[in-house]
Amino acid sequence: MMLEVKDLSASYVLPEGEIRAVDDVSFSVDEGEILGIAGESGCGKSTLAFSISFLFPPPLRHVGGSVLFNGKDLKNFNDRELRKEILGTKISYVPQSSMNSLNPTRRVKDIAFDIFRAHMDISEKEMYERAKERLDLLSLPESVLNMYSVELSGGMKQRVVIALSTLLGPELLIADEPTSALDVSSQRIVLKELKKLFKDGVFKSMIIISHELIILKHLAHRIAIMYAGELVEVGETERIFKEPLHPYTKALIGSVLEPGKRVEREKIPSLPGAPPDLREKITWCRFYDRCPFADEKCKRKQELVERDGRLVRCERGKDI
Amino acid sequence: MSYGKYVLRKGLWYLLTFFIATTLVFIIPRLIPGNPISAIVAQMGSGVPSESMQRVYESFIRDYGLDKPVVLQYIDYMKNLFHGELGISFSLYPKGVTEIIGEALPWTLALQIPAILVGWILGNLLGAYAAYKRGKFDKVLFPVSLLVSAMPYYVLAILMQYIFGVYLGWFPPSGGYSMSAFPSFTFDFMVDILSHYTLPFVSLVAVTIGSQAIGMREMSIYELNTDYVNYSRMLGLEDRKIVSYIFRNAMLPQITGLAISFGTMVGGSIITEIVFGYPGIGTWLFNAIRQNDYPLIQGIVLVITITVLFANFFLDIMYGFLDPRIKAGEMEEG
Amino acid sequence: MNLKKRAGALNKKLLIGAIIFFVILIVSFAYPPFSKRDPLEMEGMMFEPPSSLYPLGTDNFGRDVLTELIFGTKTSITIGFIAGSIATLIGTTIGVFAGYCGGNTDNILNTITNIFLVIPPILILIVISVSIQSRSILIMSLILGITSWPWTARAIRAQAQSLRNREHIKMAKLNGESLAEIIAFEVLPYLASYIVMAFILQVSTGILNEAAMSMLGLGPTDTVSLGTMLEWALLFESARIGAWWAFIPPGLAITMITFSLYLANSGMDEIVNPRLRGVV
Ligand SMILES: Nc1ncnc2c1ncn2[C@@H]1O[C@H](COP(=O)(O)OP(=O)(O)O)[C@@H](O)[C@H]1O
Ligand SMILES: [Mg+2]
Repeated sequence: MMLEVKDLSASYVLPEGEIRAVDDVSFSVDEGEILGIAGESGCGKSTLAFSISFLFPPPLRHVGGSVLFNGKDLKNFNDRELRKEILGTKISYVPQSSMNSLNPTRRVKDIAFDIFRAHMDISEKEMYERAKERLDLLSLPESVLNMYSVELSGGMKQRVVIALSTLLGPELLIADEPTSALDVSSQRIVLKELKKLFKDGVFKSMIIISHELIILKHLAHRIAIMYAGELVEVGETERIFKEPLHPYTKALIGSVLEPGKRVEREKIPSLPGAPPDLREKITWCRFYDRCPFADEKCKRKQELVERDGRLVRCERGKDI
Repeated sequence: MSYGKYVLRKGLWYLLTFFIATTLVFIIPRLIPGNPISAIVAQMGSGVPSESMQRVYESFIRDYGLDKPVVLQYIDYMKNLFHGELGISFSLYPKGVTEIIGEALPWTLALQIPAILVGWILGNLLGAYAAYKRGKFDKVLFPVSLLVSAMPYYVLAILMQYIFGVYLGWFPPSGGYSMSAFPSFTFDFMVDILSHYTLPFVSLVAVTIGSQAIGMREMSIYELNTDYVNYSRMLGLEDRKIVSYIFRNAMLPQITGLAISFGTMVGGSIITEIVFGYPGIGTWLFNAIRQNDYPLIQGIVLVITITVLFANFFLDIMYGFLDPRIKAGEMEEG
Repeated sequence: MNLKKRAGALNKKLLIGAIIFFVILIVSFAYPPFSKRDPLEMEGMMFEPPSSLYPLGTDNFGRDVLTELIFGTKTSITIGFIAGSIATLIGTTIGVFAGYCGGNTDNILNTITNIFLVIPPILILIVISVSIQSRSILIMSLILGITSWPWTARAIRAQAQSLRNREHIKMAKLNGESLAEIIAFEVLPYLASYIVMAFILQVSTGILNEAAMSMLGLGPTDTVSLGTMLEWALLFESARIGAWWAFIPPGLAITMITFSLYLANSGMDEIVNPRLRGVV
C-alpha cells in the first residue's frame, strides 16, 4: 500500500468557531492505482487532499488520525523535512486553483528552477532540459518556459501546472478538480494528458478529485464519495456507477450530465436542500435532512461498514 | 500592449495632469473675490503705501500682464512657465523667484530623496516581517506603527527637535548649517551640515517607515494567502524562497503606493522643513506666505507640483518595467 | 455563543478607538459653555510654566493653554467633521457613479480622480487659502473638504464595481427600477460600512490638514484650534525655548484623536474583511 489514511480529522479553527472539514476519514491508495474522490462543493475534498501533506498551515489544524506514506508516518516529519523529503518529490499536487497557482511575476522557467533547486543539485542546463521535456510530454512548446502566467490561456495554465507538479516524477499525484475551471474541450485534453502521464509512468498513483462524478468514470479505478466531511461510500468505479449503495451516491449519479449526450433537464432528479453546516456536530446520518428514504432508524450514528466488497455509511442501503 | 506603448500612454496622461494642475494654479486665485492678485491691482488704483512697494507691484502687473484679458494672461503664464520664468519676488525684490528656488531646491532634494528611500525600504522590510511572523512581533509592531503613523509628522518633528535638539542637545535644533560656519568643502563643514541634517532626516524617515510598514503588512498578508504561495508550499519550496516571492510581489503595489503617498508626503516635508528651519523650499514657502509674496508662493507651488508629477511618472515607468502583468496589458493603471 | 465570541473579538479595536474618541469629544464639547475663561484672553505672562493657576501653563500671548486646548479641540473636531462630511459626500458620489455605471462615466470620473490623486492636495489648499483673506471655521472646513475626496472616491469605486454583477442588482434592473432607486436601495446599503470607514478617515484627514495649514499660516482666522496653537508655538520657537507645555498638549491631542480614529477604522476593516483578522 502506497498511501494509507487512518481516521484523519482536520478543522479550520476560526475566531467564530471550528469547521470540521475532514472528519474521521480512512482510505488507502495502492501503487498503480487511481482513486477518485467525489462530492459536492464544500464537503471537504480539498481540505482532505491538503491534509495528506500533513502541513496544516493555520487556520487549518490537525485534529486526529494519521497518514502513512510507504509505511512511514508523516506525523514524524517536521515542516522542513516534509517539504524537503516528501512534497514535490514523493507526493505532488495539482491544486484546485491552478489558474492562480503560478507566481504572476516569475517566468515558468524560473518556477521550474525553484522546484528543482528545492530538492536536488543539478546544473541550470539540465534543469532547463528536463523542464522542456516535461512540457513536451504535455504538448506544450518550449517557448512557454519564457512566459509569465498572464500570457497563458486557461488550458495552458492547467497543463503548465501539471508539468510543474510532475517535474520530479512523484510517486503519488493529487489532482484537485483539474478540469473544473476549464471549458469542455480543454477538460477532455487535460484528462487525456493525465491518463497519458500515468501510462508513461511519470507518476505511479493518483488521487483525482472532482465535484462531478462523471469526470472520474473513465479514469479512476476506485471512487470514494464524500459528504459533509465524511466518506459515505468507497468502491470500485464500475460497481459504484452500476449499483450505488448510499442514497447520496445515487443522487450524485442521477444528477450527473454526461458530456456529449443530451439530457433533458426535467428528467434529472435534482437533490433539494443543502449540506449541513460543518460547524455543527451531527451525531446521526448527515444526509438525513435531504434523504428521500430517511426514517427513524437513521437518527443514530452511521458507521462506514463493508458490504458487497464495498464500504458504505448507511444501514438502510440494502432495503432501498 | 508593449512596454513602449505603456510608457507613451503614461507620458500623455502626466502631460494632461500637468496642464490641469498648472491651470488650476492659474485659475483658482482669479476665481475667488478678494484674491491677492486683484487686491494688488485695486491697491494700485487707490494709492500704495510706499513708493518702493509701488515699483514692486508695477513690475508684477507688467510681468503677469494683469492689464491684459485673462486669456492672454494665461498664454503668457504658460509661456513663462515653459521658459522657467516665475517672476520677481515681492519680499526679496528684485530677486527672481526662479533664482530663489534654484538655491533652495538642492537642500530639499538632498533631504527628501534619501529620507523617502530609506524610510520606504525599512518600512517594507518591517511590514513584510510583521506579516510573516504574525505572532508577538506583529502584535507589538502594529499598534506601535499605528500610533506612530497617527502622530502627525509635524508633532513628531517638534518632539524630536525638543528632545534631541534642546533637552538632550545632541544635535542642532534648527537650520541647515551653523551661522558661524563658512560654506566650503572642508571636513568640519561637512560634519556641521550632517549634524543639522540628522533630525529632519530621521523624523521624515520615521514617518515614512510607519505608513509604509502598515501598507506592506497588509499587502503581504494578502500575498501570503494567495494560491501561488500555497502551491509553492505543496511543491516543497523552502520558506526562504516563498518569503522572497511574497516580498517581491507585495512590494510592487508598494511602488504605486509610494507614488500616491507623495501627495501627502509633500505636506509633511514642507512642515518638517519649517519646524527645523531647514533652508529648503518648504521654509521659503512659509516665509512667502507670511509676507504675502504671491509670486514666490505661486512659483514654489508650481515647482513642487512639477517635481511630484515627475517622480510619479518615474515610479510608474519603473513599475511597468518590473511587473510583467503590465506588459501583458492585464492591469489598467490607477 | 459563537456570536458573542465574535462580537467580543471584533469590538476590541473599534471599542478602544471609539471610547478614546468619545471621551475627547464629550470633554471638548461639554466644557466650553461652562468655562469661566476665554481662550483668547491674554491673562498671564508669556510662556508661564504649569502652575495651580494655569495647569498647563501659558502660551506666547500669556493665554491659558488648558482652556485653549479644550476650545481648540472643539474647533478642530468641528472642522474635521464638516470637512470629512463634504469629502465623503463628494468621494462617495463620484465613486458610486464611476464604479456602478462603468463604461465612459467610469473612464471620465476615474481619470479625474486619478489626476487629483497625484496633485498634492496641500498645494491646492495653499492656492485656495492664499486667495481668501479671512477664513472662518466653515470656510476652512469647506476648503479642506473639497480637496480631500479623491481617496474616498477611489476606495468606494472599487467596492461599487464589485457590486455591479450581483444578483440582486440584476434583479432590480430587470424589474425596471431607475438608476436612482438602484443606487439608493441596492448599492448604498452594501457600501454603508465602507462609507463609514471612509468618513472616519476623512475626519482625521480634516483635523490633520487643518493643523498643517495653520502651521503654514493659512489656518482659520480669529479662533483657536489645535492647529493655531501649534502655529504660535512654532512661530515663537517654544521648543527651542523649552516651553514644552505650549506644543505637547495640542500635539498629543491631535495624535490621540487621529489614533483613536485609525484604531476604530482598522477595527471596522477587520469586521468587514475577516481575512485581516489575526488568526491564532
Ligand atoms: N481557508 C479556510 N478557512 C476557513 N474555512 C475554510 C477554508 N477553506 C475551506 N474552508 C471551509 O471548509 C469546508 C470544506 O472546504 P473544501 O475542502 O474547500 O471543500 P471542497 O473542496 O469539497 O469544495 C467548507 O465549508 C469551507 O467553507
Ligand atoms: Mg475543493
